[in-house]
Amino acid sequence: MKNFTRRIYYLLFVLTGVGVAQAQTPLDAIMMKQKESCFALTYDYGSFDEYWEGTVLRTNETIAEVTRITVTPMIAIGLHDKLNFYISVPYVKSESGEPNGGLLQGAEGFQDLNLSLKYEILNKELWKGKLAVLASGGYATPITNYLSDYRPYSLGNGTNEWSIRGIVQYKMEMGLYARIAGGHLFRGETEVERDYYYNNGSYYTTWMDVPNAWEYNAAIGMWLLDNKLKLEVNCYGLHSTSGDDIRKYNAAQPTNKVVFDQLGFSGQYFIKPVKGLGVLAYYSQMFNGRNMGKFTNFGAGLTYQFKI
Amino acid sequence: MTMKKNIIVLFICACWCMLLVASCESDLPRFANYSAYAFSQLDEDGGTWTPVVLSSANQIAIQAPEDVSSPAYQAELTSLKSTIANLNEGQKNAVEYWTNNPIIRWNEIALELAAKYNLIPGPNPDGTYTLPNPATPEGPTPFPFAHPAYTSRMLAYLSVAQFDGLISAWHYKYVFNRLAPSQNDNSIESSYGDTMLPSYPSDGAVIATASRNILSAMFPLEKAYLQERAEEHLSSLLWSGANVESDIAAGEFLGVEVAKLALARASQDKMSKAQCPKPVSDSIKASAFTRFGWQWENLEIPARPVGLAPLFCNVRMWSVPNVADVRPGPPPAIGSAEFQTAVKELQDIQDNMTEEKRKIANWWSDGLGSYTPPGHWNKFAKDFLIKYKENPLRSARTFAYLNMAVMDAGISCWDAKYFYHYPRPIQTIPGFKTILGTPNFPSYSSGHSTFSAAAASILSYIYPTESTQCEAWAREAAESRIYAGIHYRFDAEVGIQQGKDVAQYTLAKAQNDGAD
Repeated sequence: MKNFTRRIYYLLFVLTGVGVAQAQTPLDAIMMKQKESCFALTYDYGSFDEYWEGTVLRTNETIAEVTRITVTPMIAIGLHDKLNFYISVPYVKSESGEPNGGLLQGAEGFQDLNLSLKYEILNKELWKGKLAVLASGGYATPITNYLSDYRPYSLGNGTNEWSIRGIVQYKMEMGLYARIAGGHLFRGETEVERDYYYNNGSYYTTWMDVPNAWEYNAAIGMWLLDNKLKLEVNCYGLHSTSGDDIRKYNAAQPTNKVVFDQLGFSGQYFIKPVKGLGVLAYYSQMFNGRNMGKFTNFGAGLTYQFKI
Repeated sequence: MTMKKNIIVLFICACWCMLLVASCESDLPRFANYSAYAFSQLDEDGGTWTPVVLSSANQIAIQAPEDVSSPAYQAELTSLKSTIANLNEGQKNAVEYWTNNPIIRWNEIALELAAKYNLIPGPNPDGTYTLPNPATPEGPTPFPFAHPAYTSRMLAYLSVAQFDGLISAWHYKYVFNRLAPSQNDNSIESSYGDTMLPSYPSDGAVIATASRNILSAMFPLEKAYLQERAEEHLSSLLWSGANVESDIAAGEFLGVEVAKLALARASQDKMSKAQCPKPVSDSIKASAFTRFGWQWENLEIPARPVGLAPLFCNVRMWSVPNVADVRPGPPPAIGSAEFQTAVKELQDIQDNMTEEKRKIANWWSDGLGSYTPPGHWNKFAKDFLIKYKENPLRSARTFAYLNMAVMDAGISCWDAKYFYHYPRPIQTIPGFKTILGTPNFPSYSSGHSTFSAAAASILSYIYPTESTQCEAWAREAAESRIYAGIHYRFDAEVGIQQGKDVAQYTLAKAQNDGAD
């Protein structure tokens, strides 16, 4: 049971640690047993006062500092020892700080319904540790009529997203582990509230193509204090495969080629006296980007797991 | 084991679905989807219509063409046949793209450049702003900033040059009456179908060269791009079989000459002085304060020292003798009961924003980076031209009166804006937030409302069956600014009336130009 809890924390870190562009799918190597379930609630606070206009990092006093709070309830269910199912619905609130950026309304509401399945392909002893290989597939779709074109405050991309990911992890008996994961995000089109826009040329339609993207995640971590505390250093990146750049001193739009890489650190602690309950906290900072706010994120979460 | 198999099957299904979805992405439209069509009428008397910048249809003289029986013309036909017989895919696509009404394509090119250049200069690191300078168009801040006033003027000159060029072309077409190649040689087939419209001078060539030259002056950094588009267009006139080379050469000459006359007017219309220096702007502001006790302020950070085009009001109008003739009365005094009612409405809307209002605000926003409200009305006009199968001359006429009225409406609106210098809602209502950015010019009257009402009046006159729709669009465009939180209701309502008033002057000309 203890192990199971850790797994959920592990998952949660990945879910929330990716911050603004990513809010769902597991990139981790953890599987729940059949009929095990977990409820998790995380709070993420992200902010930026600089953003990449194309590849140029700049400030903009008219939007000043943008903050983005994301609260994500999630349920994970072990359908089978080798197949897990995840569902989550983030609630997002985004606005500029006063007084500078306080002239424009922010945005607030439920974002996308995220569903994903993860399948364990391989899990075997190797030297003095365990090698795990997994694959996952996800689907996300907007559940409210938020405006994806209302940048920088829009709640999300406003389009369906299908994802596939592969994950490989090696964990030593002593508690040290390393993990790499890679995935591809297939994004559709988002409907905006104008029927003409410029994207390196004219477009006469209300639909904008949201670029597909590659993502990666690499982590090194360690279990400490008799497996009650886990510390991890994590690098996550998302790289759109196409798209235009934000034009000079102009607003972003969903067609933009979004790229970012961020480095994070997380700590997770399992509260022994309360069965099934745990906490986590993390911090991450973007260090490279394109058409993206240079976000700093920190967050905290609670998890509770139980048998169905 | 079966469970495991099922899981694998499920996974494969999911991946398959994903690829299916990914492959379903459609090609998004980059320009109007229409093909060459038979014109609803030829306007054989088009050469008698009253031009705008030309004194008469024959002010620019062109040579008489060679007779169709002459060896020179026969040689042109032979050459044309061999050209048509050897078209590659790219050339066929060009023929399909340009069509027999290329007025529409050049209008689209103009709108695309408007959207490309509609970028407001951002602040320098030291908090100053560098304005675009036509003498050094490459920058640091590229010229132009194609804001709504600039774009309205750009479109007006483009459309007027096209219109006058085609009136002249129509005049000569029916004077010389040299029929199309396909009428003179049975073995030639035009991609655009049979037409009895005489082909000398080529109307397509007039449009290509006049449009290229006007747009090159308006967007100096795009000269090479425009030259490339014009070359393709001119070549497509041959590839389509619509014209022989001498038709095109005569049309090119006419287009170049008419563009010169239009640009001569443009160089004297005082647009170059519209963006005045700070001391002038400050004195305009101070005199408004003396007169009315209020003044608009730019609230961006860092504050912009001068609003957008304070002296656009001095730019030469097309149809209104004096801008003061169409100036509306003053707005309600700040703090008055009428003002408070308007403020309360704005607060109620922002506190109870609905998806419908949000959508209307965005639909009409036509803000930075877009083709602006004048561009939006050109798009509506374009749709009508296709729907009613207009010939190029009629199309140019529609755009010319539309864009002259819209530019005059802009000049009148900017006159009111800087004469009254009325503050925006974010300035007068503490803590007020909007869903669109507040523009860098005073509130009263609303530009969207004035532009739209003028445009709707012209389109309603030309297409009476569309008038209900056009009036509804104009009202919604006006309303959208209230929903966005950037205009009071009185800005919008007065703007609508002002736009209609301005359009009356344009209509008086249109109704007497001989086309009705």
